[in-house]
Amino acid sequence: MILSLVVNGRHVETEFPAGRTLLEFLREQMSLTGTKEGCVEGECGACTVLIDGRPIDSCLYAAHAAAGREVTTVEAVGGMYGLMTPLQKALVEAGGVQCGFCTPGFVMTLTALLDESPQPTRTEVQRALAGNICRCTGYSQIVQAVEEAIGAGE
Amino acid sequence: MSAVGTRAKRSDGEAKVTGSAVYTVDFALPGELTARVLRSPVARGRIVKLDVTAAREIEGVWAVLTAEDAPRHRNGLAIKDQVLFASDRVLYEGEPIAVVAADNIEIADRAIDAIVLEIEEEEPVVDLDRAVEDDAPLVHPGWEAFEPAHTDFPRYRNVCAEMTSDPEGVDDAFEAAHIVVEGEYRAGRQYQAYLEPRGVVAEYESGRYTVHVSHQFPFNVRDRMASALGIKPSSIRVVGHHIGGGFGAKLDLGIEPYAALAARATGRPVKLVNDRTEDMLICQCREGAIVRIRTAVDEEGNLLARDMDVLLDSGAAGTDGPYLISIPLILAGAGYRVGPTRVRARTVYTNTAPTGAFRGVSGTHLVFAMERHLDEIANQLGMDRRELRLRNLQEDGDLLLNGQELPDASILREAFDAVEEIAPWSQAGKGENRGVGIASCVWLTNPLSGSVVMKVNEDGTVGLVTGATENGSGAVAMGVTQIAAAELGVTAEDVIVSFPDTDSSPYDAGSQGSRTTHIVGRAVTEAAAELREKIYEVAGRMMETSPADLEIIEGGHVGVKGSPGSQITLAEVATEATAAGQVLSATGSYRTASPKFDPTCATGLLFPVFPTPTYHVHQAEVEVDPVTGKVTVLRYVVAQEVGKVINPDGVMGQVQGGVAQGIGYALYENLSIGKDGRYRQRTLEAYRLPLAQDMPDVEAVLLEHPDPAGPYGAKGVAEPPIVPVAAAIVNAIVDAIGAPIDSIPVLPEHVLDAMDQASKRAEVRS
Repeated sequence: MILSLVVNGRHVETEFPAGRTLLEFLREQMSLTGTKEGCVEGECGACTVLIDGRPIDSCLYAAHAAAGREVTTVEAVGGMYGLMTPLQKALVEAGGVQCGFCTPGFVMTLTALLDESPQPTRTEVQRALAGNICRCTGYSQIVQAVEEAIGAGE
Repeated sequence: MSAVGTRAKRSDGEAKVTGSAVYTVDFALPGELTARVLRSPVARGRIVKLDVTAAREIEGVWAVLTAEDAPRHRNGLAIKDQVLFASDRVLYEGEPIAVVAADNIEIADRAIDAIVLEIEEEEPVVDLDRAVEDDAPLVHPGWEAFEPAHTDFPRYRNVCAEMTSDPEGVDDAFEAAHIVVEGEYRAGRQYQAYLEPRGVVAEYESGRYTVHVSHQFPFNVRDRMASALGIKPSSIRVVGHHIGGGFGAKLDLGIEPYAALAARATGRPVKLVNDRTEDMLICQCREGAIVRIRTAVDEEGNLLARDMDVLLDSGAAGTDGPYLISIPLILAGAGYRVGPTRVRARTVYTNTAPTGAFRGVSGTHLVFAMERHLDEIANQLGMDRRELRLRNLQEDGDLLLNGQELPDASILREAFDAVEEIAPWSQAGKGENRGVGIASCVWLTNPLSGSVVMKVNEDGTVGLVTGATENGSGAVAMGVTQIAAAELGVTAEDVIVSFPDTDSSPYDAGSQGSRTTHIVGRAVTEAAAELREKIYEVAGRMMETSPADLEIIEGGHVGVKGSPGSQITLAEVATEATAAGQVLSATGSYRTASPKFDPTCATGLLFPVFPTPTYHVHQAEVEVDPVTGKVTVLRYVVAQEVGKVINPDGVMGQVQGGVAQGIGYALYENLSIGKDGRYRQRTLEAYRLPLAQDMPDVEAVLLEHPDPAGPYGAKGVAEPPIVPVAAAIVNAIVDAIGAPIDSIPVLPEHVLDAMDQASKRAEVRS
């Protein structure tokens, strides 16, 4: 089955079986392994990507449901492969990254949050993260990173 | 400026935040096959039929291996009680029975389904108290023939290992006591829940295996797998990649041999990754425990003597249990003066998934039990709970129950003072449905060996080759990196640390017991001292001056002491050395010397001392919703002794992360076992982990008492923050509701039950 969509700004048209997930498409077909598989049940959020700017769990999302849409992954959230957003820089600088396996999902969820609400309160940040599990940091330094990134953008 | 003590960015941060960091689950080799493991669906039974014929005939299946195709001898970390594949009997749910290697995961799963497996189920041994009874069915009927991996220890029937200490004076003290307080405390299992499931990619070539892992202890994979396969350790090369969390679960051998055997059988690289449910089953989660304590106390609240009985649920394999049962003896007399203390600790076989290491091994439930018990003593005496603790604190030079001296035990009093300063006890936890709890712990820094090769590259950067692993804590990406930078006067960005490779890296005992920054950092300072001499020798030749007159100057230079204008760069020195056929490299290694202790104090004491001790106090304030039973942590204060802060962000990350895991252990993370011996929670949906909105802002005071043996004084940091959390939280809940709770996790229904029972007792009294 042909799948046609935009991934990280580039148009992609390729054969991909129906019934498989967007996560499988990104990791296996596109070799975009920055998006992680943690649980395959939409609990951990490590697989979060943006579809037309909105965060979704790609492990539960059918690849073909993304047809005609624009998918953004952690590799290119900075606009270009390898370019970091202020949020990504702040995550590194504030200690918001430890093992890093959950980090891509946090980057995507928080990117969407800041797009929608550029000056979120601490409670809003914590609520937005309800679908992302981090086992290392205890979340504080991730929340601090958001606050630093907001400050840097002012 | 020296890199030590700064907020240097972690060296792997950019790779992780842009998604370019490659973990084992991301790693792939050309032509690799995918493997899946058939695991026992039941906890105990006899295999009456196992037929893989149909599975082998499926197109795209390259190999189906069972016990017939693998070594049958036993292996194990402390006691050799495990086999690679079950063949006759199954002993726990999740025990491997077969491995399939196929073109892709769909075919592998089809092949697993096509294996014909019939098991005659038997009643599993699940309950710990039942397991230790004389007439309990044996989990391992052949236990007597098991060989210890190193030295043997007391063991019998379902008791995998027993440690006992029975000093004089215990019974006399109980006779003379004003009161005797008794308590029984229980803790459930806890899943490490690292986000990257266990995975491995294995290759086989010319008689050697190469195994790619995200593992905390690559040299242990090599040695344990060699033992399991019956081959030389040097026939295995273990290559480490980024690690998506471990917390102790990635220390022992796991699924590596199954991928390796499949790679050998197929001649192709083989990848094997756990799905989340099987990962929960076979990760070796933290053991469940029952701790029974009796304490003799006088009228003033002095602890006179103690009697403690500890049962740990080892599951169907010993793993690290025979070591862990030494910890009750050490912790029973750590921090507080307790008088003569009798301790019996047993780690017990059951027909459940084997348990193993998790951050703060055994400390979490032991400290929960002992600190809950202290609150009960205070309540029975009508004494302030904090005052009882201060009254019994150890002083410098006091001995642990193993005879080990604590030269700096008074740091614990300082930690109590530090907490008091920011959150005064008398004002804490006030208000309806609110409470405060306090708890302390003494913890160790794991002493095992670490080593590095350190070199100066021709561009003036510093290379470190080591088997040490960066499990996410920052111990390598910050701690060791910054120490190396400071030693040679370069920036942290100019230090490049290798990934572990057991073929080329010098030995390291893995990221366990908070050891990496302390041990590997010290190995770096040893290597750097030798390396500086070599640098000065070459630079002295270049500058026509005596090496003794040279020094490292911040910014990557070597200069003449007292003569600021006269300097050359490290790059120039390294380039000259290379041109002259010299090598600017040096090795360094370190292991903490064992503190003196009394070997006659106990039997079965395999883990006898607590080297490089650190001291910690936690205070929690909670609010309980009397309608729903929900507990909210309002305030959390930590005083932690760290020796020396190498990177403040790194240390705070460990404190906050450890507290979060402790809050999960206390309040949310419920891994219960049914009568059938199977886990009831099987997904991350059912196993509730702490989320951002559950976490208070942890207020932490870091106390620095530099260790003369540690690099820049650093001691272990990462484990202690989880150890006293459940104790502090549950003590606060009990304070809030006025009813005892002695079992964790404390779920909302447990809070409501406790409140209900307390009100019934009040009615009976009135």
